[in-house]
Amino acid sequence: MPMKGRFPIRRTLEYLQKGDVVFKNFVKIMTVNYNTHGELSEGARKFVFFKIPQIQYKNPWVQILMFKNMTPSPFLKFYLDDGEQVLVDVEGKNHNEITQHINKIVGKTQEVLQAEALAAMVTSNPANFGHRKYCLRECLCEVEGQVPCPGIVPLPKEMTGKYRNQMKAGQE
Amino acid sequence: MFQVAKYPVQVCRFLSPRGSVLIETVRGRKSRNDPKAKSKQDRVKVPSPIDPVEMVVLKERYTQYQMIMRALRVEFKEQIMRRRYEEEVGSRAEERTKHEAEEHRALMAWNDAENLRLRQLREIRVQKEVEELAMKREEAIGLQEEKRRKILKEKEQEILQLQEDVKTFITLENLDQRIEEALDNPKNYNFAIDKEGRIVKRTAIP
Repeated sequence: MPMKGRFPIRRTLEYLQKGDVVFKNFVKIMTVNYNTHGELSEGARKFVFFKIPQIQYKNPWVQILMFKNMTPSPFLKFYLDDGEQVLVDVEGKNHNEITQHINKIVGKTQEVLQAEALAAMVTSNPANFGHRKYCLRECLCEVEGQVPCPGIVPLPKEMTGKYRNQMKAGQE
Repeated sequence: MFQVAKYPVQVCRFLSPRGSVLIETVRGRKSRNDPKAKSKQDRVKVPSPIDPVEMVVLKERYTQYQMIMRALRVEFKEQIMRRRYEEEVGSRAEERTKHEAEEHRALMAWNDAENLRLRQLREIRVQKEVEELAMKREEAIGLQEEKRRKILKEKEQEILQLQEDVKTFITLENLDQRIEEALDNPKNYNFAIDKEGRIVKRTAIP
């Protein structure tokens, strides 16, 4: 199945996971006002086209809205949970500059992200077996190189308890 | 169907005062009406034998052991809860929130400075555009004026030319005169041209 759309790479998981803007917890809504024509809105347009998917992937609980051709100059607005609104003017800026700017003002820093990753690792041990929700694996039969699940592939006769008991009974 | 129990529960009550034994089992794979398996039809389930003296000692030890384990578990749980509480509602948490608020204010101030800088740039740009527009408009007006003047001049030239031409017009008065003149001077429009492109206008009169 071919890839759909103009830059279908934007839809790949690899691209989305490469996004590095993770908003702080108090950011709830992000609004982007930009124009479809004009040299000054070029950076904003590229930002919306390339960076917004990454941002939404990393911040699934932030509402992101796009408004086209409503104002003469493009800008971003963040609505925080204590009612504060942060206006970011992006006229004439490059899409990379915009990303760096918002990462600086409302994004989590690398240290914070690393600390959070560490905390997450402490709670979830990948060596545990259990429910899919909490652990990676449920049974040893799922691991490569181990005996496959007898529910799918029957065990060889010599490994079944029935056969062993029969042999033992026969010997006695 | 009955509730599926993940871990089969076997409740055995030992050493009740009468000495009788009680066994309960959970349903498992088969439903109520399924017959017993052929190999199990004559089976009589007998509980495992126990030694009462040993049991007394074991019970004592078990109670102690379980008490200790429970105490340990509770200790550890309490430790974790205390740590979490400290993190969320502790002296360090307050400092952290204050620190974060300060950082937030600083970042907002930086953002405002950035916005101001862009605003100034924008104002300069807009002013320039307005000036350019005014200049262009003036230029356009000037060009239009020029065009109008040129047209006027051309028209005047045409009129003068016409006035000159009037003298050569043929009117009713000099009709006869002009006819006479035309007959007196026959014009020869014939010409010859050779392969090199030289035109010869003087040809033989027919």
